[in-house]
Amino acid sequence: MSGETQTQTQTQTQAQSQSETEQGPLANWTQGVISDPDQRSLLYRALFYAITIFFLVTTLFPFYWLLVLALTPNNLILAGDWDLPFLRPQGFNPQAFVEVFEQIPFHLYVFNSFVLATMTTIIVIIIASLAGYVFGRLEFPGRGPLMLAILMVSYFPPAAFLIPLFEAFTGNPVVAPFIGVELFTPPRLVNTPGAMVLPFSALFLPLSIFILTTFYAQIPDGLEDAARVEGTTRLGALFRVIMPLSAPGVATAAVLTFIAVYNEYFFSSIMALGNEPQQWSPLVGGLLQYQSLYSTEFNLMAAASIVGVLPVVILVVVAQERIVSGLTAGALKE
Amino acid sequence: MARVTLNHVTKRYEDVVAVNDMNLEIKDGEFVCLVGPSGCGKSTTMEMVAGLTKPSEGNIHIGDVDVTTLPPKDRGVAMVFQNIALFPHMDVYDNISFGLRLRKYDKEEIDRRVDHASDIVQLEGMLDRMPDEMSGGQRQRVAIARAIVREPDVFLMDEPLANLDAKLRVHMRTELQRLHKELDTTIIYVTHDQAEAMTMSDRIAVLDAGELQQIDPPLVCYNEPANLFVAGFIGSPAMNFAEGKLVPGGFESEHFSVEFDPSQIPGASVGDRVTLGIRPEDVFTTDRIQNLSSATASLDATTDVLEPMGDEIFVYLVLGESAERSMEGETASSNQLLMSVNPDSDIQEDEDVEVVLDRSKVHLFDTASGHALAHGIEELPGSGAGGGPGTEAGTGGRTGADTESQVTEAESDR
Ligand SMILES: Nc1ncnc2c1ncn2[C@@H]1O[C@H](COP(=O)(O)OP(=O)(O)OP(=O)(O)O)[C@@H](O)[C@H]1O
Ligand SMILES: [Mg+2]
Repeated sequence: MSGETQTQTQTQTQAQSQSETEQGPLANWTQGVISDPDQRSLLYRALFYAITIFFLVTTLFPFYWLLVLALTPNNLILAGDWDLPFLRPQGFNPQAFVEVFEQIPFHLYVFNSFVLATMTTIIVIIIASLAGYVFGRLEFPGRGPLMLAILMVSYFPPAAFLIPLFEAFTGNPVVAPFIGVELFTPPRLVNTPGAMVLPFSALFLPLSIFILTTFYAQIPDGLEDAARVEGTTRLGALFRVIMPLSAPGVATAAVLTFIAVYNEYFFSSIMALGNEPQQWSPLVGGLLQYQSLYSTEFNLMAAASIVGVLPVVILVVVAQERIVSGLTAGALKE
Repeated sequence: MARVTLNHVTKRYEDVVAVNDMNLEIKDGEFVCLVGPSGCGKSTTMEMVAGLTKPSEGNIHIGDVDVTTLPPKDRGVAMVFQNIALFPHMDVYDNISFGLRLRKYDKEEIDRRVDHASDIVQLEGMLDRMPDEMSGGQRQRVAIARAIVREPDVFLMDEPLANLDAKLRVHMRTELQRLHKELDTTIIYVTHDQAEAMTMSDRIAVLDAGELQQIDPPLVCYNEPANLFVAGFIGSPAMNFAEGKLVPGGFESEHFSVEFDPSQIPGASVGDRVTLGIRPEDVFTTDRIQNLSSATASLDATTDVLEPMGDEIFVYLVLGESAERSMEGETASSNQLLMSVNPDSDIQEDEDVEVVLDRSKVHLFDTASGHALAHGIEELPGSGAGGGPGTEAGTGGRTGADTESQVTEAESDR
């Protein structure tokens, strides 16, 4: 018996080696990947690195390029004498990072954007939490259509709201269309954070509500019941139990909102009547200050961009830790 | 401290009536077990008392306060949930102290109570674990501890011991009883475990399909079930039932009959369809009836299957001379009878035996309505040994027949 199988395997290996000599190297390699687990894991690892490197390069190259531009003196940038393909900085001028703050009060622009983003994020998370609780955890007639109506806000381009909002925020009375009845006169909000935070909150709410609704809906009813019997109100249960357990969702909604507002320029450039930090002009407005009628200081713009991005980078790193710890700290088991 | 009263409480969901017109009065400091088959509305009743769901109709009082519309936090209740419901993002200490911290107790008091509670449920040294690092039984103990630290007026416990092993369950059972004695709180307790219900509670409330069937002390529920459902539900293994009708000489079914005076049964007359019930431990072989005050005429039977349980043996009997085994399914005219005998009995399978029923433990129910007619039946005054109509065999030894003192339990018609 055993002898028989031995001779069988022998003939098999012989046939195999024969076919191997007949096939080309590519066919041999594929054959190896299919049959040999070592070779297969090697291939997987190679693919993993290739894809990781691709993504790293595409995401990190812009930052590298900013750094190169920031360090290269402006006249050399304009000369455009780059040594391809490595695009090294032509010269070394870290002074640009100081000059950024000397030419204009750039830190104030960063501060404006930071404050606007923080305020909007807080407002959005609080309101979206309440809405997410209602839509995700309560049964009531008209829930579906109402949710759809809220999501519809985000279907409109923000520009559609700009003119009426600008009119209202410059202190003109709001008049009901067609019938001409004056409804109310809003305070003059232009040049204040209100003029930006209000529309941003409205614009970014739908997405956050949607995210938090799906997250809050997944928290088991029993946990909320337990919290309420233990002595919280429904609201208390939301903030003490449901929200902490939805930390990844809350962090996602918060980070998305924060970044969107931090980078916003379109609305704020109009609601801040002049491009002045005192009028709550945002970060991007500050960047554009390095461009004057006669010259553009590319190295300063690049350096300022890097400075401006830093707060977001820090925030995302912190939030990511939250997200990861939120995911690992006690899976939701009932 | 807190009496719990449910007045005509009904809870309807879209397609089911979970609780139907429930009237329940639980006295201050009483330990009441809710029992009933799955889906009969036990958890729903608890949730309504806790305030987690609003009754569709009726009102609920805790103490003298109408709590029907009060939120759970203002009701002074603590609850152990059927699905445990520990907060996954808090460690054991935080879980247990959650309610205390909400009520702003000071640190030492919280520590003292948490220590005491975790002592009771044997959780020492686990206070900094996260819930997902614990076994099901440990989590359940945390849930119990979370309820007892609050020292509430009313405890609601929905199957709190379901996930524990037998030994720990017995331990927790005594601990809960001690706790009950110590704190003197009202406890409403849901369980599927008959032993728990029988041993722990002051009264058992039996529910079926959202309706309260009976609420009485455990032994009353056991000995004087109010209806067929309670009789079949309480007690394990379940009571034997035989459908038949009242005849002038007593009860007669397809396979056997029992002689008594039908006029002693209130609310029933000859010709009515009735169901006779007898518990397995109240069926005796004729050689062991010396200590019976009053036994029925003996019935011929053949033993079928034996189930030795250790402390007793369950014997499945097939009634009738011919002893054909009718297969299950038609419980109505089943000729099967379950008997429990001493473990040292030398009874064998497929053996012909004669059995008698303990008269004082025979239950009669109205077949149509299910209501109990009588618990225990008296002997026919005139009839000596002859046996009622249709009694196949002659008399077995009827030794204890003359002492009729005990048999007067027939008064009850609960
Ligand atoms: N939220 C709900 N919506 C609709 N029906 C419900 C809801 N909760 C419970 N029910 C129904 O109400 C009935 C009673 O449920 P309940 O949870 O009180 O049963 P139970 O006696 O606790 O059962 P078990 O012993 O299995 O825990 C069931 O038929 C159930 O399907
Ligand atoms: Mg239940």
